Amino acid sequence: MATRIECIFFSEFHPTLGPKITYQVPEEYISRELFDTVQVYIITKPELQNKLITVTAMDKKLIGCPVCIEHKKYSRNALLFNLGFVCDAHTNTCALEPIVKKLSGYLTTLELESGFISNEESKQKLLPIMSTLLEDLNATGACTLPIDDSNTIHLKLIQLRRDPPIVQEYDVPVFAECKDLYIKSQWDLTTQQILPYIDGFRHIQKISAEADVELNLVRIAVQNLLQVLIYFGVFYHFFQYSNVYCTTPKVQSLIDDKSIQEECLGYVTKQGQKRASLRDVFQLYCGLSPGTTMRDLCSRYSQQLQRVDERRLIQFGLMKCLIRRLQKYPVKVARDERSRLPRLYTGSHSYDEICCKTGISYQELDERLENDPNIVICWK
Amino acid sequence: MSSTAMKKKVLLMGKSGSGKTSMRSIIFANYIARDTRRLGATIDVEHSHVRFLGNLVLNLWDCGGQDTFMENYFTSQRDNIFRNVEVLIYVFDVESRELEKDMHYYQSCLEAILQNSPDAKVFCLVHKMDLVQEDQRDLIFKEREEDLKRLSRPLACTCFRTSIWDETLYKAWSSIVYQLIPNVQQLETNLRNFAQIIEADEVLLFERATFLVISHYQCKEQRDAHRFEKISNIIKQFKLSCSKLAASFQSMEVRNSNFAAFIDVFTSNTYVMVIMSDPSIRKCPTEQKHIHTGRTALITTRLFVCFFLFQHLQQLSSTSVMLGNTLRSWSGWTAPSTACTCECASSLPPPPPPRIPPSANQSTARRRHVADSQLQ
Repeated sequence: MATRIECIFFSEFHPTLGPKITYQVPEEYISRELFDTVQVYIITKPELQNKLITVTAMDKKLIGCPVCIEHKKYSRNALLFNLGFVCDAHTNTCALEPIVKKLSGYLTTLELESGFISNEESKQKLLPIMSTLLEDLNATGACTLPIDDSNTIHLKLIQLRRDPPIVQEYDVPVFAECKDLYIKSQWDLTTQQILPYIDGFRHIQKISAEADVELNLVRIAVQNLLQVLIYFGVFYHFFQYSNVYCTTPKVQSLIDDKSIQEECLGYVTKQGQKRASLRDVFQLYCGLSPGTTMRDLCSRYSQQLQRVDERRLIQFGLMKCLIRRLQKYPVKVARDERSRLPRLYTGSHSYDEICCKTGISYQELDERLENDPNIVICWK
Repeated sequence: MSSTAMKKKVLLMGKSGSGKTSMRSIIFANYIARDTRRLGATIDVEHSHVRFLGNLVLNLWDCGGQDTFMENYFTSQRDNIFRNVEVLIYVFDVESRELEKDMHYYQSCLEAILQNSPDAKVFCLVHKMDLVQEDQRDLIFKEREEDLKRLSRPLACTCFRTSIWDETLYKAWSSIVYQLIPNVQQLETNLRNFAQIIEADEVLLFERATFLVISHYQCKEQRDAHRFEKISNIIKQFKLSCSKLAASFQSMEVRNSNFAAFIDVFTSNTYVMVIMSDPSIRKCPTEQKHIHTGRTALITTRLFVCFFLFQHLQQLSSTSVMLGNTLRSWSGWTAPSTACTCECASSLPPPPPPRIPPSANQSTARRRHVADSQLQ
């Protein structure tokens, strides 16, 4: 469902009149009664300032971010304003929130730099800006606004497809379809910089190190990609030959569903080889079970693996939920002061996570924990 | 006395920018007049609970005066605002150019009060009087008072002229809180008894945090009828100056050949000032128990005045000069320079750098002039 903006308003605190709507497009959309009801959430007390506030009243939803700029040059020592959107009360307005927040930030900057809002003349430019905003955001979901000679604002409505999962350092992002299909230039600089490193094998931390981009930025960029792209899988996966996987009931779909078959065989076939057979691939998946490491699988099924890339096999299986990974979770069962890192041994932190967080290698951790009588390893 | 606090609702209303929040910050929040310049506009109603004299709680409703808010108060918020009001304080900016509009809002308030809290006491403060020329002030105030009393009928209103730059602010607020203290008659009786026992010329009782005079005794008429609020103002300023330097004011003694004045902590919620015209009163290390009220009357004690460095002493001497002048007018004596007895203890942290005087605009300049003249 498209998010339709019914009205955009600009509200201010006037030193003698109090809170009022200076501009709104379309005109007269917000009734006197509606404004009186909600004004205390539009021009707010200090505790609510600079926060995104959505208020629903009289069948309308108003989303705004009240701004307060303190300075003795302003009458009453502060400038208070709020640029907000009005939608129908039943609209899902999540996509509008980042835009409202961004706009409040932009206006604040413009005011601090050049007195854009406190100057009566330049303030008038707001009206055509608001008209353009309303039109463009409703029509295409994006808007580019030249403010003056040196400032332009770019806005885009992001329709969230699902709740974005939190991306961890040890997650491995992978493009489910060919990433060349995505035009590089449409992405921001950070995303462009990390794109070459997203190959389904490098985890976030590694991408950050190799692409020379700060870890948090990589995380945010990947999270952004997750929200925007249709096919994009992120899952915590550290491919190692010591990993253990097992099938899920969904593996049956490989037999039942022709389209998944096609997709699978196309994906897992080794480069330059003849297309793998369904029989081989299915056998390989079924060979995965608790207790069988990848190393074991490779030695048992070496014949089937002639035309199949085991890494891509696992990736596909994970993406389509045909298989799942079994992780080791250490649990501390006795009080022992000598053990290091007790806080991670609760049964909620996998080996992967511990390795990533502490920088110890998998083997080293394994050695430590297998020999510790106070630690029990849970596979789940 | 009941152990639970008694709450009294006080409405503070008036046009936008008339000075409501400034007044409240000075009286209850330890602002000095200059600090109020930094205050922003009050959005809708600001509630504050002020503890007064131990278990009296003043529930202050500082109502923003912009048109949008005022209109709301009389319509959608009417019951909420105007019910259970003990005191309505309405502030008028003496410089206002919209007298009719001001009166219109005032009358709307009175209407709402009459409907919802008909027993409420009404006070009108004609504020920012420092902006009026000195020789005009009485006249202008008299005019306003007449108008307001007439307009307020059938309700009675008490009018004061006020300014944050002099003692008139303290006079008005003293009178207002006096109306709110439930056992104030008894307080006055006890104070009289106490004063007579110790044969004091005058005794003042101050609320401890605000230094508002809540009761006084005098055995005869004195020349300066405004001395009480002047003392409030002076001591409060001094107390604030001390606390800005991490010192805490406890007591003060001022004497010359004709009188001695003592200011000290009286009870946990009050200060007392005792004026004795018998100069032979000397320091007495003992305490005397007051028979009737059981309160401890401290005639004098060892003085423990906590201001130490030269700047402090300077301030003290100017304070004592102020006090001396005020007290002199009390007795009509022309005494020689007031000697100031104080004990100095060891050093304090170094004083902060002197404050840069703010840039003056016209009205500020006038106000500053008034404030400085007080220090002569």
